[in-house]
Amino acid sequence: MLTAVCRSACISLLIACAFLGLAAVPASLFEIRKPRGLDFVLQNSPTPQKYLIETMPGGAALLDYNNDGLLDIFLVNGGRVTSPMQTPENFDRKNPRYWNRLYRQNKDGSFTEVTEQAGLANAGDGNYGMGVAVGDYDNDGFPDLYVTSYGKNVLYHNNGEGTFTDVTAKAGVAAGGWSVSAGFFDYDNDGKLDLFVTRYMEWDTKHSKTCGGEWQTYCPPEEFPATTSILYHNNGDGTFTDVSQKAGISSKKGRALGVAFADYDGDGFTDIFVANDGMQQYLYHNNGNGTFSERGLEAGAALSEDGRRLSGMGVVFQDYDNDGWPDVIVTELPRELYGVYHNDGNGTFSYGSLATGLGVLSSGSSGWGVGLEDFDNDGWKDLFVAQGHVLNNVEQIDPSLHYLELPMLAMNHEGRFERADSGSTAPAAGRGTAFGDLNNDGWQDVVMTSLGGTPQIFFNRGGKQHWLTISLRGTRSNRDGFGARVRVNGQTRFATAAGSYLSSSDKRLHFGLGAAETAKIEIAWPSGVRQNLNGVHADQFLEVREPEKP
Amino acid sequence: MIRILLAVWLAWQSASPEVLRHLQAGTEADKQRHFDVAIAEFRKVTELEPTLPDGFVNLGQAYMENQDYGAALAPLKRAVDLAPDLAAAHQLLGYALLAQGYNAEAIPHLEKVQELTALGIAQTGSGQLQQAVANLQAALAKHPNDPDLLYYLGRASGLLSKQSIDTLLAAYPDSARAHQALAENYFVLRQMPQAEKEFREALRLRPNTPELHLELGLVYAGSWQWPKAEEEFRAQTKLQPGNAEAAYRLGAALLQQGKAREAKTELERSNRLEADMPETLYSLGKAAALAGDSAAAEKAWTRLLSIEKQSALAAQTHFALAGLYRKQGKTAEAEHETQEFQKLQNSAAQSESVPK
Repeated sequence: MLTAVCRSACISLLIACAFLGLAAVPASLFEIRKPRGLDFVLQNSPTPQKYLIETMPGGAALLDYNNDGLLDIFLVNGGRVTSPMQTPENFDRKNPRYWNRLYRQNKDGSFTEVTEQAGLANAGDGNYGMGVAVGDYDNDGFPDLYVTSYGKNVLYHNNGEGTFTDVTAKAGVAAGGWSVSAGFFDYDNDGKLDLFVTRYMEWDTKHSKTCGGEWQTYCPPEEFPATTSILYHNNGDGTFTDVSQKAGISSKKGRALGVAFADYDGDGFTDIFVANDGMQQYLYHNNGNGTFSERGLEAGAALSEDGRRLSGMGVVFQDYDNDGWPDVIVTELPRELYGVYHNDGNGTFSYGSLATGLGVLSSGSSGWGVGLEDFDNDGWKDLFVAQGHVLNNVEQIDPSLHYLELPMLAMNHEGRFERADSGSTAPAAGRGTAFGDLNNDGWQDVVMTSLGGTPQIFFNRGGKQHWLTISLRGTRSNRDGFGARVRVNGQTRFATAAGSYLSSSDKRLHFGLGAAETAKIEIAWPSGVRQNLNGVHADQFLEVREPEKP
Repeated sequence: MIRILLAVWLAWQSASPEVLRHLQAGTEADKQRHFDVAIAEFRKVTELEPTLPDGFVNLGQAYMENQDYGAALAPLKRAVDLAPDLAAAHQLLGYALLAQGYNAEAIPHLEKVQELTALGIAQTGSGQLQQAVANLQAALAKHPNDPDLLYYLGRASGLLSKQSIDTLLAAYPDSARAHQALAENYFVLRQMPQAEKEFREALRLRPNTPELHLELGLVYAGSWQWPKAEEEFRAQTKLQPGNAEAAYRLGAALLQQGKAREAKTELERSNRLEADMPETLYSLGKAAALAGDSAAAEKAWTRLLSIEKQSALAAQTHFALAGLYRKQGKTAEAEHETQEFQKLQNSAAQSESVPK
């Protein structure tokens, strides 16, 4: 009887809610669900040897590889690690269990695994996979893939008919050593995308060791020598030239894990921020003549507020406070606070972790992939961070820390972040994270990888606020307009697919418009061309073509 | 010194030339660190002059210099038997016994010569903790910052503390203090949920115990629960408005949450209660800078640098000042402070790399 009454009352309530438009408010902006066909498991293969590579993968990319208007997902796998590893190192990447995977999105939102038919099955037995960068390096209108590894990296040229070709040897971008995050950008504004590859350290399984005494943990980065990152210049003929030395990138060794690009001082040239682990962060200022100067310390973006070295992992280089200048947020280990470097607009940064409220949200967590995206379309970019400690036995050492964590969702209230429910109830060792509008509904979604697990897909439930998503079509500039500064109703985004950790996001530029039904768009193209569009209707995907004449 | 005096005494006593020869040979061998030879020569002295306590002292000392403390015991005991008031014999015998782990036996000899450091160590080893702490403190007063003394005093104090707590837990397991003691233990082990539970129980049993709120606040701060930490530190400041540490902790908790103005007020109050505590000045500068009061930030940090010039906190303060000046567009000042920061960083790195 009681059940019948309750049932009747509940149904009445639901009907009333539906009629009054009072649908029950969901706890989270996101619904986490596994789309049909997405069956990837990130094989990091942890061993008692505690090889450091095991705790570092893997990347995710959101790209429309076949230009059908639907975002596809590329996921980088680790490999098989034996205990101990034999020489020469073999990570068994011919075994399908360890393949990187490409999932083509179907019109019904499901995915079809197309790795083999796309020509992406062979990752190279000597390579343990790390991350991925996406960019149309030959401006043919199809996004190409660059996969980083411990071992050698691979550049896959998109042939435009659903397949890719490994062009690494011809392009000359194999790198070697231990590459981590990478990104395409156009540092010399010649209209061709160049490539930056971060490398972590001088390390190999033969010279690996464990730390932590009786706890037997992964060693901190200081235990291994630093190394250089690499800048490849795009020659425009399908080849690249390593200009790291000439450009001043290799003048400083680091322990680089993350990279992001933006023009922080408004001089028209894209600068580079490198997140280094266990040392100072690097801000490479683009001198505009093919060289860079590392200015992290003098610009106030190298260390914590207290002058301490940081365990920089992921990084995002976008404007969180809508003042038009790109700021930097770096994810770190516990007790360090995620570093917020507010761009003061004079070529320098001030530390903003406490002022933004992010300090109090992050002090006990380990952050990796990171993005500033306007998830609720209110006109302010919110923050999403994949989390999970480096050490898979950290609870034994410090019970207040956790290997598996929930991701952080922090909503931006006019420049101050407040924690929100990410919707995830399954703690994971979150790593790579990519952002984009998977279902083309105008609301940003998230793909997060986790060690030893399936990726978590955060589908945005949406709402009533307006939005605008812009695709750039460069003519004088690189085809995707990477490096353009786009202002929409007072908000600014810097066009890039790079940033986060090991990952590549939707290249389209998404803006939440709040209640506004129209938008004013101002674009500063890398070529120097300025373009304004007024009265643009909200709630649409808009392609903007760069004027061929200034 | 003992040996020189012995040689003079023997000469005055018209000792045989053979004894003098062995004594000189032993002394010479000892100088050249040929301890086996020295031991043989001094043994000859004791054989030729078996009632002479100083000969046995020399022999015992040579054994000790040769790291053979066990062998040193017999001649030194013989020396003490022969001359119960010979300080050198008691001193060496006390050390030899201590080195061999005979703490209780060493104590009377070390007491006799008031060898406070060794006495404190021996007393620690034999469980006489109160006396050990007193003697080690007295020794430390004579040799401040001696690393060994600091270590042993810390150890003795810790054991004494543990002894008291063990008694408390055994005798009054359900008391507020017992729960507090358990909580402190969990806190040290970073088992924060258990620490929180025990502090809460202690507070339930004795709600107005002032330091409990402070300690519970530290548990929350240690697990990054800053709003809860703020609540506890605030409770502490209400109970003890004159407690500078409570005001500092409350200010720091507010600062962590970005509540700059409130933090500045509390930190200023802490600084009034106990002026010029470096940590307070540093946090006060941060709070002031965050609140947009650059002058107050500069004042706090400059004051700190007048007190601390070489420490890690001084380096941090130079770095913070650089950030403040950078934001104000004072490029030269920012650069100067950055250089000072780097200088201190480099000297710290160099001292870390010096082989120990």
